[in-house]
Amino acid sequence: MTIQPPNGAGMNRRTLLTGAAAVTAAAGLTFPRHVFSQTEKGHPLAGKSIRMAILGIAGWLPSKLGVDMSPDFAKYAKARYGYDVSFSFADAPFGQLFQKAATSLATRSAEYNIIISDSQWLGALATPKWIVPLNDIIAKNKELDVEWYAPVVRQAYQTFPDGTANRYGFPQEGDTFALFIRKDLLDAPGEAEAFKARYNMEMPKTWEDFEQLSIEDYTKLAEFFTRPDKGYHGAAMQYSREYDFISCPLLSFMRSQGGDVWDPKTGQVQGIIDSDSNTRAMTQYKAMLKHQPPGAINYGIAEVIDVFTQGKAFSAWQWAAVGKAMIPASMQGKVMVVPPPGFKQADGTLKRDYIIGGQPWVLNAFNDDAHARVALDFMKWWYLPETQMEFAKRGGNPCDKATLSTAGFDELQPWYRTYKYMLPRSSDFWHDAKYSEMLAVQQEAFTAYATGQINDPAHALAYVACKQQDILFDSGTASKQPSGACSGIRL
Amino acid sequence: MPALSPAGGVARFLGRRTVLPGLLLVPVLAFFIVWNTIPTLWLLGLSFYRFSLTSGRAPIYAGLLNFQNILNDSGVWLDLSRTLLFVVSGVGIQTVLGMLLGLLFWNSQRLPGRRVALTMLFAPMVLTPVASGTFWRLIYDPTFGVLNAMLRGVGFSGANFLGDSSTAFAAVLVVDVWMWTPFMVLMTLAALASVPKAELEAAEIDQLTWMQRLRLVLLHHGKYILMLGILLRTIDSFKTMDLIYNMTFGGPGTTTQLVAITLYRRAFEAFNMGWSSALAVILLLISIAFTATFIFVLHWREKAEA
Repeated sequence: MTIQPPNGAGMNRRTLLTGAAAVTAAAGLTFPRHVFSQTEKGHPLAGKSIRMAILGIAGWLPSKLGVDMSPDFAKYAKARYGYDVSFSFADAPFGQLFQKAATSLATRSAEYNIIISDSQWLGALATPKWIVPLNDIIAKNKELDVEWYAPVVRQAYQTFPDGTANRYGFPQEGDTFALFIRKDLLDAPGEAEAFKARYNMEMPKTWEDFEQLSIEDYTKLAEFFTRPDKGYHGAAMQYSREYDFISCPLLSFMRSQGGDVWDPKTGQVQGIIDSDSNTRAMTQYKAMLKHQPPGAINYGIAEVIDVFTQGKAFSAWQWAAVGKAMIPASMQGKVMVVPPPGFKQADGTLKRDYIIGGQPWVLNAFNDDAHARVALDFMKWWYLPETQMEFAKRGGNPCDKATLSTAGFDELQPWYRTYKYMLPRSSDFWHDAKYSEMLAVQQEAFTAYATGQINDPAHALAYVACKQQDILFDSGTASKQPSGACSGIRL
Repeated sequence: MPALSPAGGVARFLGRRTVLPGLLLVPVLAFFIVWNTIPTLWLLGLSFYRFSLTSGRAPIYAGLLNFQNILNDSGVWLDLSRTLLFVVSGVGIQTVLGMLLGLLFWNSQRLPGRRVALTMLFAPMVLTPVASGTFWRLIYDPTFGVLNAMLRGVGFSGANFLGDSSTAFAAVLVVDVWMWTPFMVLMTLAALASVPKAELEAAEIDQLTWMQRLRLVLLHHGKYILMLGILLRTIDSFKTMDLIYNMTFGGPGTTTQLVAITLYRRAFEAFNMGWSSALAVILLLISIAFTATFIFVLHWREKAEA
């Protein structure tokens, strides 16, 4: 075979390869020695410049850290792989991020090369083949087969469909519920005595005390610290209709008392979410409003941060991910982060089965080879022990066992001990392509009951069961149609 | 017969009565076809398919199934009735208030600061609904909101305007009225400006009462512009989504869920494109029906008066 140069003179393949080798050798000799010594030989992108785009969650610290730390990756990539990489970032609030990602991916766009997804979206992103299946990649890159702190990390942030070995996400940050307590109010003189006099029980003071705290006893504490005359209330929890704000804590109440939302194997919802136990949990969760500031019915993540940091709530149920925002400089030393209450079981033990938060990275399936390769390199860098430790130092929540087991990890951030404790006590709900449709129905019914639009919690759950069963039957996930009782059901 | 030069041929061709106007219309028509007709036809086509963007499956022809499902969905009917209530009450209040304020400004030509007052009055209308919704949500906030602080300051107990299902609908309606009354003021001022000065002077010479002047002179001449304002507001109000979505997300429960919010949620949160297209087609037909009714009423009265 002969390659014809422009001047028409023939040049055989050997000559061409020899020339190319000479040029490469010359380039190698002129390359800075310190970089050459660290550069991974033969990287296909060496010498090139790549621009990457990350889509993340607006106003969410761990998401922000993921992008804030990317310049470190740029330095690492230059030194190790020999290419230049720069990043651009786009973001959207939780409620709009999926839409932003999905509308872009639906057009087979590589506008966002790496996306920080919410855990429940894996199904909706994987089913239309918008994100890269990771099994083969992980098999070929053993450093990405990370040992996680708890099995839930893989289940929640990587796996779709539930119960399979198929992986689609790389954990970006782990997240769990935590209870933020105003320790200064708890320790104020006379409070413990007054509490004991009123409830005939010791006031919980330490992390260990709170570990043993049941929801009934927590309610007493919230009631005790509800003092509107002094401008604060006992608790702040989420009830907003936005995104999954009311669902996450309320489903935690349900699951911790033996309830569930569906059977992921059969897609059955009716007869599961509308159980008596879940109905009781609805009543219980609504009753907590008594101990919260007026307007708690509108609270989402941001509002809970606001009321707590402005001293209007003694305690707040909040995601560990926003720990930094919950404990600003003005609150340093006044706040204790403890596990949220447990729920008494028939045998007298306490159970916590809370909804997990946190997000995985997912890789755009429409990336070209170069961007796919950089995304992969980025993930390898992300799980380096030093990167994960830096992430932890900045307030992110790593999930890998090595980092979480490092001596002193619990003291790195005020919420880390609780985060670590809650991680194995948390689980996700629905990894299904119809996630957002099911969530919309659920949020609508839960808030309808919480706000008094309807007064029967059983009816709210029956509505959710009927609508979700219909959605899942329509999509082929559930084998059973909604029962006849669902005909014409409305809020 | 003299031979025609090519330039002369083109000039003659363009000189034909229909050709030049037709050519001048081509860019507008092309724009209209590309950005309006084709998407509408696409929407219409999609409404006959079962298609979810996240299902990973190709669209399946379903005939009228989506329309049937929508018509059998009690939730959609409730959303529609809520929307009609919102449109009728909102546009009604805006029209009355807009006319009153318009007359006030029309009669106060020499009032000092009139221009500043008018500019301030129009400010809500030029703000984006997303921004308006966000800051009204903060104004209404029971813990931090300025409205509750004021209420408490004068001895009332605070209220959770957007969180209470008995007040949420009225609370979002107030914001819509605040935002769009200036538009009706503008239309009223335009309508009043269209009244011939001679007729106003004649009414003054004839010593007509204020009500007679309003009915026989002002409304007689200004009704077309006012009707246009009402029509535009009705269509626009029927599509209200962003303002309310930012304040309540359609809640509490479904108290403020208008049909456009349902459409948005099903299209861009659930990505159920077939169903959403069918609902969009139904809403389009309702909007066309509104327009046709207004135009019919306008012409009917015109004929009756003739």
